Amino acid sequence: MIGEHIHDNEEKPNLEEMSPLSRRNFIAILGASAAFTAVSCTDYPDKGKIVPYNKKPEEITPGKANFYASTCNACPHSCGVLVKTREGRPIKIDGNPEHPVNQGKICAKGQSNILNMYDPERLKVPQVIRDEKLVNSTWKEVDSTIITALNQAVKDGKEIAVLCNTITSPSFAKLISEFKEKFPTTKIYPYEAFVTDNRNTAWKACYDNIPQFAFKWDKAKVILSLDADILGTEGNHVEQIRQITSKRSADELKSFSRIYSAEAGMSITGMNADYRFRLAPQQQLDLVLTLLVELFPREAAELSLNTVDYSFTKFASVNGLSSENIKQLFSDLRQHAGESIVYAGDKLPGEVHIAVNYLNELLGNTRLYDTESPVVEYISNATVQDFEQLSTNMKNGKVGILLNLNTNPVFHLPEDIGFAGSMSKVRYAISLLENLNETSKLSNIILSGSHFLESWGDYARRAGIYSLQQPQISPLYDTRQKEAVLLSWIRGAYNEQDWHDYIMSNWEKEVYPKVAPAADFKTFWNTSLHDGVTAIAQNKVVFSEFKKDSLKNIRVKYPTQDFTVIFSESFSLGDGHFANNGWLLELPHPVSKVVWDNYASIAPATATELGLTFGDMVEISINNRKQKIPVFLQPGMAEKVATIELGWGRKEICEVGLGAGFPAQSLLSKAGGLTQLIYSGAKIGKAGEKYKLVTTQENHLLDELFVKDLHLRRHIIREGTIEKYQKEPNFIKVEKEKQLSMLKPHEYTGEKWAMAIDLSKCIGCGICVTACNVENNVAVVGKTEVSKGREMHWIRIDRYYSGSNEEPIVSNQPVMCQQCDNAPCENVCPVVATNHSPDGLNQMVYNRCVGTRYCSNNCPYKVRRYNFFDFRDRLADGYYQQDSLSLLHNPEVTVRPRGVMEKCTFCVHKITEARQTASAEGTKFDGSNIVTACQEACPAGAISFGNVNDPESAVSKARENNLGYSLLEELNTNPNVTYIAKLRNINSEDIT
Amino acid sequence: MNKKLLDYTLKIRLPITVFVIIIAMSITYYVSRNERDGIGNTPTQPILFSHKLHAGDMKIDCQYCHTGVTKGRHALIPSVGTCMNCHSVARKDKPEIQKLTKIFLSGEALQWQRVHRTADYVYFNHSSHVSKNIDCKYCHGDVAAMEKISQVHSFTMGSCVDCHRTAHKSFPEIAGLKKGPDHCWACHR
Repeated sequence: MIGEHIHDNEEKPNLEEMSPLSRRNFIAILGASAAFTAVSCTDYPDKGKIVPYNKKPEEITPGKANFYASTCNACPHSCGVLVKTREGRPIKIDGNPEHPVNQGKICAKGQSNILNMYDPERLKVPQVIRDEKLVNSTWKEVDSTIITALNQAVKDGKEIAVLCNTITSPSFAKLISEFKEKFPTTKIYPYEAFVTDNRNTAWKACYDNIPQFAFKWDKAKVILSLDADILGTEGNHVEQIRQITSKRSADELKSFSRIYSAEAGMSITGMNADYRFRLAPQQQLDLVLTLLVELFPREAAELSLNTVDYSFTKFASVNGLSSENIKQLFSDLRQHAGESIVYAGDKLPGEVHIAVNYLNELLGNTRLYDTESPVVEYISNATVQDFEQLSTNMKNGKVGILLNLNTNPVFHLPEDIGFAGSMSKVRYAISLLENLNETSKLSNIILSGSHFLESWGDYARRAGIYSLQQPQISPLYDTRQKEAVLLSWIRGAYNEQDWHDYIMSNWEKEVYPKVAPAADFKTFWNTSLHDGVTAIAQNKVVFSEFKKDSLKNIRVKYPTQDFTVIFSESFSLGDGHFANNGWLLELPHPVSKVVWDNYASIAPATATELGLTFGDMVEISINNRKQKIPVFLQPGMAEKVATIELGWGRKEICEVGLGAGFPAQSLLSKAGGLTQLIYSGAKIGKAGEKYKLVTTQENHLLDELFVKDLHLRRHIIREGTIEKYQKEPNFIKVEKEKQLSMLKPHEYTGEKWAMAIDLSKCIGCGICVTACNVENNVAVVGKTEVSKGREMHWIRIDRYYSGSNEEPIVSNQPVMCQQCDNAPCENVCPVVATNHSPDGLNQMVYNRCVGTRYCSNNCPYKVRRYNFFDFRDRLADGYYQQDSLSLLHNPEVTVRPRGVMEKCTFCVHKITEARQTASAEGTKFDGSNIVTACQEACPAGAISFGNVNDPESAVSKARENNLGYSLLEELNTNPNVTYIAKLRNINSEDIT
Repeated sequence: MNKKLLDYTLKIRLPITVFVIIIAMSITYYVSRNERDGIGNTPTQPILFSHKLHAGDMKIDCQYCHTGVTKGRHALIPSVGTCMNCHSVARKDKPEIQKLTKIFLSGEALQWQRVHRTADYVYFNHSSHVSKNIDCKYCHGDVAAMEKISQVHSFTMGSCVDCHRTAHKSFPEIAGLKKGPDHCWACHR
């Protein structure tokens, strides 16, 4: 049995927690207060105050949003963002449409990043350890202490170690070099946690002096992903999702791409692959070598690889794969040489990367490398060896100052480096952070850092694409950004304007001459700030010859004994930086749908072997390192493999994130296994305890006859292959019974709103869910409430498995309120709080709702959400009621109280706003410019929205599509969400 | 209980009590109606600003100060700076203007007493009404004649919907005026 979902809806009253007031007393007080109210009711009630600006900023019109371009710095990809502000406070982050890389889209972390700024538990003032106690201090005081310490360290010849994230900012890189000049003993350690350096090292081994490239995924006909979650956590997935899904459209069957994925765990890429091979990471190299031998026998022979060792049949039989599918991969790659991409995952060993580089070279796929804007490396990232050296130096007292700039090495680095222990030997351990963390706990000076929405900056992750970061709000607390702090230490005094002026002068010298516009610099600067991004055409990098030396030791056999554990970065929390963000903690994992936890995924067959079921705790041990973690039975996993997400289980964290997940990074070691993130020889044993993992979707039991393939039998999921579609364009249509209705049909004389979702494009990443949360003030409810099925998300992604436990076929489907024409919820509401609007929306009126929940009971799609508690009051006693968080709310959407039903509104506030603007400006209103929050966020562009009564709108065309269908048609609800059936690019008529 | 007393209680005392309660409630309901709706509400403002003087006698356009009415939801109370456009020169000798200048210079907030108010769950939009040439007077009364602003009409849902449903009758002078929307999400969401 797989992942049974345990609901515990029974709640027994706790008498001690209840009010001591008796019923009789309550009624007596009620009566008395009514009487007093009646007596005192002789004056007009106070209607409050209106407080206008004293001096109004010119650009602000209260009630109207302003948008500012900026750059997100949550990860090294530095996406351009457009921040919506109301009356001077940021309320929503979206992608900047002008940015050539992310093109108006941004990931789930980027969407939710706004909550980090309003986090009530942010560090508000600098703090220092005095007499073993952490006390508040001032910037003036800490500045003078630190500047003295810096000079002293230089004098004593002691190292000043600066730790930060990957540097992608040209001005920051310049600042760092100036810092080094001023304090020559400085060493800089930029790093990214939970990624390996293998790709980079392999690239440098294969090519001389060529920077790394991104791929032109939208030019690829065939994609082979090897243990790489290119649609999830690997690389700039927002860009990759857009490019890959742009070639997955039923309208352009000729250019429909084919995705192969060979992986051990089940990733988002694996869910969406046309062909998926279950493969242990040890076998990845053999797969690439087999392809090399079969595709290029002559070149392979040079490497003394032969068909005896490497052939399809042998590879398929050793790994229990269908040799037919492997052959299909072979013929596709041969046929589309030069139009395919083979991509190895970051965590795979260097040899695989070298072999893949060679294979791409031979296939001529190098022309799909984006040679115009390669990735820029300002300062090379530190390696594990560098950190080991640093730790030793710290222990030996050679490090005078450790400066941690918004990172968390104590949490990230393998424990056997001994970083935490060595830190105590450093006289000045300084952390500059937004929130406290494991490293700050061991620091003696903690500086309060600014959020990116409060900071200035510039970024150029890709050559020639310069983007600017500008503050949307002045710092909420007494915080400073890291760049300004370093600059103030160089110059000896802090000035708010300094860093801004520094970037400006750097741009005047570096960027302005390259663009050489007709305008003067000031105009150029203002234009760049307005647009957020300036692109400078680059010369193509010319490829150097592939260094065949790198292939010398290409034949490696990796150890395969016992279990293999694969670690990866968390999809929602990143490296743990976002572990206090309620929206991200409650975002159901795109594959498992688990919330608020990480877990070890293992194959059901492996679980049976070990006698494990869903919810068992296991103890994983790798050498002497042990960690207990709950187990999740994941269909489609390779056997004898466990995959675990890192970034969870933070110990030193604020209230929200405390206790979420398990710190599995304790299993990592500096020596690594196959690589830093893949370990063989692991032991997994039952720990004997139980643990409650909470999912938002019941895992339909693949081996239970009653529910197996229910979604197919009830036509909720309809999909087919391209071949089938070409033969029978109407293959998904189900014969409709003649349906009678007792209701009078609605007439829609004006606009009628509808949505269409292209399931060929939807990959189930959940970015729309986070966007909806931010836009519509959706509450976070916590793990306990989700376990009772009380999550508040207005949109959910349903994930269905069909086929077998071993080779599941995965289908994703976003479901929000279907805005039915004959809505079953409307008929049962006793107070008419939900009813029909003339433009086809199913309106939910909060102020009329009395909370009978009849509507939710009668909704066949289960999209209505009920506020059981005033979650803003309740989550840890009023967490969301705190001042800073009320600033976060979108003022155009009601913050719903307890006892009220709520659901997706099709972003009615956006519809209304567009209508009212058109009315005020006297222009014709046709609704063509309305973009819902989920649609705006979807990097795949799977969602379209518009007016059905306009025959030109995308949505009315989608409704006429052969592949269009709606959910549970037999109920005659006439939903206004049309799903475009998923097409799979499999070389047969049937999906098997 | 003895039968006579029960008889008296049920036949006489109870009906009288119920009658008195009903009458009292009905009278209170109707008499206090305006008060409940806020009609006649005339709070004292921190600066004794006269609409009669500005909008009436001097005929300053409403939109000189209430700049938001054509742009969006809120009509907007002018910033102190807007007052100072004129009053940095005009009537500097008057005590109220001196009070105003002091507030402007100190940068503190000027807290006006709110007169008109719709419920929190109503998303009323000024611009959609003004753009249809519906006069401010229709909801706010003859402001140009008021020394102190006072609420004239009720701002209940009933008043909104009454007009929305019969807009062409209420405003025969505006040609082509259609009915206003009367579905829930037009104002609540």
